[in-house]
Amino acid sequence: MSLIIDKREYSSRLIIGSGKYKDFKQTNDALEASGAEMITVAIKRTNIGQDASKKNLLDYIDSTKYKILPNTAGCYSAKDAIRVALLAKELLNDNLLKLEVLRDKETLLPNEEETLLATKELTSLGFSLMVYTTDNIDLAKELEKAGCVSVMPLASPIGSGKGITNEKNLKKIIKNANVPIIVDAGIGTASDATIAMELGCDGVLLNSSIAMADNPVLMAEAMKHAVISGRKAYIAKRMKVSEFAISSSNKKDAIS
Amino acid sequence: MNITINGENFYVNDNLSLYDILENNYLNSNNIVIEINQEIISRNLWGETKVNENDKIEIITAVGGG
Repeated sequence: MSLIIDKREYSSRLIIGSGKYKDFKQTNDALEASGAEMITVAIKRTNIGQDASKKNLLDYIDSTKYKILPNTAGCYSAKDAIRVALLAKELLNDNLLKLEVLRDKETLLPNEEETLLATKELTSLGFSLMVYTTDNIDLAKELEKAGCVSVMPLASPIGSGKGITNEKNLKKIIKNANVPIIVDAGIGTASDATIAMELGCDGVLLNSSIAMADNPVLMAEAMKHAVISGRKAYIAKRMKVSEFAISSSNKKDAIS
Repeated sequence: MNITINGENFYVNDNLSLYDILENNYLNSNNIVIEINQEIISRNLWGETKVNENDKIEIITAVGGG
């Protein structure tokens, strides 16, 4: 039942982001409530002139307990993503990376050409890549061929909370894949995560749906159960849909 | 001399090391990585690496992100 990414086993199939929380304590509380074992972080400039005693996000996340997954958020070219990847590796002393190369600052949709280019280059440099991508079926296969350890198609745009808008493409990507397929972006609430898992996704990566909920810690717990439920339902295989009603009890024993 | 740190211009004394730069800006040296002119400088070299006129320094860390 466990998820294997880059030869490491995870009992949770939920990955959460660390953005948009009220403070680091809430980030940590949500992480714990979610049951996730992997958390994404962004690699950005530090604040100049900050209080040296002020804690950093990395001070709050127990790296012995959680896998920290740096991302290349804010990159719009393969060149920039490679630069951030190298910084992340230096910072965290690890080759695992969420590659994210976007095309436009407003749509925040992946730049497919630059994503593939960066995947090829970073894989050759020894990085283990979990690649954020569109739901382009052919590109998902190309990324796998290029050597990424996970393909992560969006379900709908980043931060939109629209849920799964592309079931058919996700199903096809899953059917074709030999690496874990993780839905990344677009999840709005627990039922969206369940649907993703029922489709056969290997995992779900989400951030805003927890952090922007009225009660993030409670939503984190809901997401934990949603992912588990969806996975179990996928394995159990749902009943066939019937056009008309079929009685649940045996007709011949009816009292007449 | 003039240098840039994280996109901001600074006027600093000559002959400063990267460690001096961190100290002068009250920066915690844990959980950061430093680039000078887009070249990563390993932590073990921060003491001996001197900053030069017009250097573009980036001090990078992990922040919240999805």
